[in-house]
Amino acid sequence: MKLIKDGIAKLSFVALLVTVTAAMFYAPTASAHGEKSQAAFMRMRTIHWYDLNWSKDIVPVNDTMTVTGKFHVFAGWPETVAKPEISFLNIGIPGPVFIRAGSWIGGQLVPRSVTLELGETYEFKVLLKARRPGDWHVHSMMNVKDGGPIIGPGKWVTITGSMSQFTNPITTLTGQTIDLENWNLGNIYFWHAFWYAFGIAYIAYWARKPVFVPRLIACEAGKHDTLISAMDKKVGIGFMVATLAIVAVTMESTNAQYPITTPLQAGLLRGMKPIEMPARTVAVKVDSATYRVPGRAMQMTLTVTNNGDSSVRLGEFMTASVRFLDPAVHEDDTGYPDDLLAEEGLTVSDNSPLAPGQTRTMEVTASDAAWEVYRLADLIYDPDSRFAGLLFFTDEAGNRQMVTIDAPLIPSFI
Amino acid sequence: MSASQSAVRSRAEAVKVSRTFDWLIMFTLFFVILGGYHVHFMLVAGDWDFWSDWKDRRLWVTVLPIMGITFPAAVQAILWWRYRIPFGATLSVLGLLFGEWVNRYFNFWGWTYFPINFVFPSQLVPGAIVLDVVLLVSGSMQLTAVIGGLGFGLLFYPGNWPVMAPLHLPVEYNGMMMTLADLSGYHYVRTGMPEYIRMVEKGTLRTFGKDVAPVSAFFSGFVSIIVYFLWHFFGRWFGSTAFTKGS
Ligand SMILES: [Cu+2]
Repeated sequence: MKLIKDGIAKLSFVALLVTVTAAMFYAPTASAHGEKSQAAFMRMRTIHWYDLNWSKDIVPVNDTMTVTGKFHVFAGWPETVAKPEISFLNIGIPGPVFIRAGSWIGGQLVPRSVTLELGETYEFKVLLKARRPGDWHVHSMMNVKDGGPIIGPGKWVTITGSMSQFTNPITTLTGQTIDLENWNLGNIYFWHAFWYAFGIAYIAYWARKPVFVPRLIACEAGKHDTLISAMDKKVGIGFMVATLAIVAVTMESTNAQYPITTPLQAGLLRGMKPIEMPARTVAVKVDSATYRVPGRAMQMTLTVTNNGDSSVRLGEFMTASVRFLDPAVHEDDTGYPDDLLAEEGLTVSDNSPLAPGQTRTMEVTASDAAWEVYRLADLIYDPDSRFAGLLFFTDEAGNRQMVTIDAPLIPSFI
Repeated sequence: MSASQSAVRSRAEAVKVSRTFDWLIMFTLFFVILGGYHVHFMLVAGDWDFWSDWKDRRLWVTVLPIMGITFPAAVQAILWWRYRIPFGATLSVLGLLFGEWVNRYFNFWGWTYFPINFVFPSQLVPGAIVLDVVLLVSGSMQLTAVIGGLGFGLLFYPGNWPVMAPLHLPVEYNGMMMTLADLSGYHYVRTGMPEYIRMVEKGTLRTFGKDVAPVSAFFSGFVSIIVYFLWHFFGRWFGSTAFTKGS
């Protein structure tokens, strides 16, 4: 019996320790690798990131790099996802391994949330300053309120050097230049240590003689009043007066030292400037689309009309950041992440130049292991089995024209 | 050994045993309070206490004292009514701050590398001392709730201002004005926290113009009074020995 009791006592002590420590182990999530677990339709029908460029592969601490490109806000935005009326251009990195030195949409700095319009294409740029050495996957990322994060493609970037060398100098409007990395740190430690010591001193006064046992005995005997002496009250009042005085004096001295302070800034930014896209000269109609499960390939029958004045060829199909290219038409020289690039993934039944004024029906196949790796094939299990993506046509001069497609998808299991 | 026989044989020994008890109880109490209070605080005040760019003049000032007065009220109820010990609130707050500092230093900084000047906890000690002393001097739960609770709310903002003010210096950054705290929030990327989640300077107390913080502090103080009563009774109930009578 005693053995069991001891066992329970021990167990409950362990449980107590676990509870106590659990709270201390909370850490803000640093990982950004949700890209594959996000529903395929989310990645295909919300925001399409393209023309991306990571300016560097290796960055020493304190140096900067940029992630630039364009994103198209899909007109066929799914009903189940909140519209991007309140969105935030984020960057998918594991915590502050870089600092975000700047981010822009259409040339406007966007430290706050913005409103995006469906069907528009925007230019963006994120300026990153290297802080913590390591190999980091850097994703473009857009958070949409009530819609969740929409993660773009990620590329590995290496930061070299030592974090202890990192500095973050900022000049305030009051003319001071400070290092935001450790600004105010001494002040924070000092005041927290001071008040902690003050609190301990207050408790120590009461704990200078035995505390719990004699007090419990006296209280049980009904002699509560004998436990607090006039002296005790005086000391207590002393602590309280000192507290009030210190708070008042430091409030004053702080205001004297920092006469100019401003409240935190917040608020939605509207009117983001989209790119003025040239008028579309290529019209595409999706006649049918099938996903062949065993072949990991999507087949589309497209009717393409060229209304422009230069002949065009289909060079690329892009969906959910995976790019399928026809190497005869378009090759990637931007250093796009390998795992998202199917360099020979696009086959077109007849990809000869489509002359101005002509219409042609073509069989297009986009096949690559990425369908499985990036779980795009899960699309066929979605409640609304549609796919969407961008087609890029290249004209004689090498200009690329983007056309969006959005159509039902029929799976084929044989 | 019969039950009536005392385990100690001299006064010195009694004091020594009593002291051992003190340390054991104090140690256990500190960590039990720490655990409960810290979890509670993370759940209800979470982001307002984690990040300096959430510490605004409205919701931070309002939410934190209201959520912060809970455990101090309950622990006071136990320690005062059963032991006449007047440091329940201070002990609770020191427990909370200890847990928070361990978490912020080792996890937010040591593990995720957010600078401490961005993730330090809020200061609650001045309010706790006042809460304890009002109870000590008045011996009245009602007076502690009203004067102490109001004081707890009112002292929060000025008690934190010496460490917050330097973070509220204005900066011109690429054509926009922001405070250093805003800039920390922008620079030190929180992937899981988009900017729109931040609840800053929102509320209906705008009619008072520039002086929002004092208005928020008063409002917070009034609600703290009510929360004090509530949690004081939780503490009383929790600390009662009704269910162990006869042992
Ligand atoms: Cu990644």
